[in-house]
Amino acid sequence: MKKGDIIICAVVFAVALILAVVFFFAKPEGKTLLVKADNKVIYEYPLDVDREITLEHNTAVIKDGSVFMLSADCKNQICVKSGEISKRGECIVCLPNRVILEIR
Amino acid sequence: MSAEQGNSRNKIKRLCIYALLTAVCLIIGYIESLVNFGFIAPGIKIGLANSVACLLIFSRDIKGALLVNIARILLSALLFGSPLSLVFALSGGIISLAAMIILSKCRQFSVIGVSAFGGVLHNMAQCVVGACVIGVGIFYYLPVLMISGVLSGALVGVLSGLILNRMKSENNVQ
Ligand SMILES: [Zn+2]
Repeated sequence: MKKGDIIICAVVFAVALILAVVFFFAKPEGKTLLVKADNKVIYEYPLDVDREITLEHNTAVIKDGSVFMLSADCKNQICVKSGEISKRGECIVCLPNRVILEIR
Repeated sequence: MSAEQGNSRNKIKRLCIYALLTAVCLIIGYIESLVNFGFIAPGIKIGLANSVACLLIFSRDIKGALLVNIARILLSALLFGSPLSLVFALSGGIISLAAMIILSKCRQFSVIGVSAFGGVLHNMAQCVVGACVIGVGIFYYLPVLMISGVLSGALVGVLSGLILNRMKSENNVQ
């Protein structure tokens, strides 16, 4: 282990931490949910109305201003495990189905 | 044995070593794909196969590192992946390898720092590709991907350092 190694690790940690703080605090609560497929917006819903959104391969839920992926037929289930999102710019990605839920 | 014969024998030996290392990479990659860290953020892996690239770079075999890494990426995409995963793996693999080769030329860094930097750039490159494929929202994962990249890269670097030490002492015995 040399001095340079420690510098690399420290710089990366610092940059990541700053990015995380900026991403987290700079974002106000969102107002709408954009549902995108293949990078095109296919639906738009206001966050203040609770509903369930059924897509071809995924089911998303809007509840109390937050959005989460209820179920998906993808193999990795990353989207389902991603949890809730509510802040502007946050998103849940289902890479296998090319679906993205984004808050605006 | 003539010098020419010895030379071609050496070439064959090298080729066999590259083939062997590629096979080792594929097996490590496959075993790793069975363990899923995807619940943290999409695409998180330890990248143990990258230790082979570290070993080759630090044995001053840059050509070998390039050959084995590209063969590994193409073959694992053919065997286990899809065209999309190939684009992800190639972007991450080539950028991180290039960065590691450049950084290994500097004396200030050991294999640990080189590997950690490679890991970070690998994840950042994949993040950029992800943004092109599914949208800029994926940059939300960048901090997590950077930290996981530096940690897993450093881990791979520590492992590679142990193997390199072993290789050096073996060579001294011979
Ligand atoms: Zn999914």
